[in-house]
Amino acid sequence: MADDEKTTDARPEHPTPLRGPDEGIPAHPKGKVPGVGADIAALATGLKTTLGEFFSPQVTLEYPEDKSPRSERYRGRHYLRRYENGLERCIGCELCAAACPVGCILVIAAENTEENRVSPGERYAKTYEINMLRCIFCGYCEDACPVQAIVLGPEYELSDTSREKFIYTKEKLLEPLPPDVQARLQSKAKET
Amino acid sequence: MVVKTLSPMAVQARADILEFELVNHPLDCPVCDKGGECPLQDFTFRHGYPTSRIDGPRLHFKKPIPLSENIALDRERCVLCYRCTRYYDEVAWEQELTVGQRGVQSFITSQFDQPLQSIFSGNIIDLCPVGALTSRVWRFESRPWDMTHTESICSKCAVGCNVNLWQRRGQLVRVTSRENDDIDEGWICDRGRFDYTDVNDPSRLRTPRINGAKATWADALATVSTGIKGKGAKLGISLPKDITNEEAFLFKRLLDGPLRGARVKMHGRTALPAPIAATLRIKDLDAARVIVIVASDTESDVPIVNLRIKKAASKRGARLIVIHPDGVDLDRDPNTIHIRNAPGSAAAEVRKLASHRLLKSAGGPIAILYGDGLGSEEMADLAKSCRDLADAVGGNVMPLYRATNERGAIEAGVAGWDPLDGIEALLSWGPPPTAGIPTSVKFMAAWDHLPRPENEKADVLLPATTFAQRQGSYTNLEGTVQFLRPPIEVVPPLKESWEVLVELGAALGLTLDYAGIFAIQRDAAAAIPALAALAQPPSPEPAPEPVLIGPAHP
Repeated sequence: MADDEKTTDARPEHPTPLRGPDEGIPAHPKGKVPGVGADIAALATGLKTTLGEFFSPQVTLEYPEDKSPRSERYRGRHYLRRYENGLERCIGCELCAAACPVGCILVIAAENTEENRVSPGERYAKTYEINMLRCIFCGYCEDACPVQAIVLGPEYELSDTSREKFIYTKEKLLEPLPPDVQARLQSKAKET
Repeated sequence: MVVKTLSPMAVQARADILEFELVNHPLDCPVCDKGGECPLQDFTFRHGYPTSRIDGPRLHFKKPIPLSENIALDRERCVLCYRCTRYYDEVAWEQELTVGQRGVQSFITSQFDQPLQSIFSGNIIDLCPVGALTSRVWRFESRPWDMTHTESICSKCAVGCNVNLWQRRGQLVRVTSRENDDIDEGWICDRGRFDYTDVNDPSRLRTPRINGAKATWADALATVSTGIKGKGAKLGISLPKDITNEEAFLFKRLLDGPLRGARVKMHGRTALPAPIAATLRIKDLDAARVIVIVASDTESDVPIVNLRIKKAASKRGARLIVIHPDGVDLDRDPNTIHIRNAPGSAAAEVRKLASHRLLKSAGGPIAILYGDGLGSEEMADLAKSCRDLADAVGGNVMPLYRATNERGAIEAGVAGWDPLDGIEALLSWGPPPTAGIPTSVKFMAAWDHLPRPENEKADVLLPATTFAQRQGSYTNLEGTVQFLRPPIEVVPPLKESWEVLVELGAALGLTLDYAGIFAIQRDAAAAIPALAALAQPPSPEPAPEPVLIGPAHP
């Protein structure tokens, strides 16, 4: 090995010492031990703070009975929306899944038929699943959706007892049917 | 000459043309199966205006319109490039697809609104530059970016067209063509394109069964070996048409050893004998001046060779001579000379041809293609007469095998043509024998991927892999060895077929010491000269494809 390529195990010296030299305990500024009066004054200052906070307006909430308000743009759990006539908005185009940076959305599409019309147009989502454990709530899916079908709602309390339950299926994500459509379907079911 | 593609004028012109193309386009890319691999989408993204100045009403049509069982037509998306109708007219020689109305109101329609019948119809899906013609089999199955594709070989006939197999979530969702100018020129037939759904059949066999009860592979193969061992000529074996060269090589070892004397019948094979000298290549048809087609309806036997013949005739001016008892689609060329022979007399007609004026003064290469007339011809005689004719007039022959790997199986020595009557034990590999299961069978083992009514009586049922899971190679009808790549994994308890053959050999007392497919390929290449190409399987990683980068807006 040539001399100029010689390496050494010793680390280079750090340019400045990591810790300064021990300078000892600093002396009291006034050069003497404080008396009892100063202790009482300190206690009064503390009590003043406590009492002042006691009478000031309250900022904490008694969660979970009370909840803080959410911003309109808060991004919580997802919903799949419907049109007013009850048809699903989602057309199964998978653009949400394509936009998702963590790949937590699975969409499998199928074709609408006259007998089974799920959404307007030709295509609907047969399967729509979101893995809530993997989701980072970035809202890109909502951004990518061409029909405003997937939206992020205000709910943030997503806890459960198993990993499987965090895979939100289409049934869980879909908005309930509008009341008038539901009533119409129920009366139709009664007739038949 | 200097061509400027990025000058302001050229960029502006592209954007203007695209604006016109989009006048009536519905822009329903999110629900369109072409979205993601659509040239119109790509061009608009790269070269188009971000907004449109067209605010008039767009043309509307009923959508989607089924053109056939397999193809859907969306007239709103059509940009009227006429690629599909031109392909139908010039390449496929069919008149089923045409244009209705005139000018801006034009639309693509099938002739008299009848469903498309041609076996070549699927290619218009690949040709369509927009989402107007889409597959109904793949409809809404997945977006292009969900799938991975694997370069493989079609397993439906002996032409050996190159295909891409597309996989999503462990399922084969689509088959498309892959251009190989030596063989298929980018075309595949509808059998290869649409006939794949059995791969994803939920009822597929996954575990071995003995008398209907689930069993382990070891037990099942032990039962098979006791059932078929030492039967000699009382054992019948039905082979699948798409047996790979590697499987054929292993099977030959079994036939030479413990299963000596067994009667073998290969599924769907012609009775054509092994070629005695070098045969014609498919690409050589392009240069042929006269093409003689004997005893074969090429449209159904070897569809993509049929397209080559049509190309040679219509684009290169070759003359066609057909010897066939019935009308064939090559008769659409008005210059075709069709000799209608009585079935069985093709060899005599071929001998008469030696003095034909076309063949005497061909002015170029002569190609002689012969099939087996669906079993009606005396094959050895016909093959010899064709070879004699080729020698006499200075041409070359191409035997038109029908079964996928018939030529490879012939070269490996397993492509039997024995009758299965009177056998006592039957090993039915692949679909059951076409002639039915002989009544004399006392023991039957079936090795198949689907449950079939014929296999219900089988004593042992072994699950088989499909072409989408199999490793190996096929030899096509011209003798080219091409490799299969499996897009779908073999998930236990399913086993690779070479592994099953090795274990069956062990159960029968024959040691086939192979740990993987490459060792088999090396041995097969050394043992069989025609399979020498097996010694160098291609790299499993295909070369990376260039990606479109960056938009180029005006």
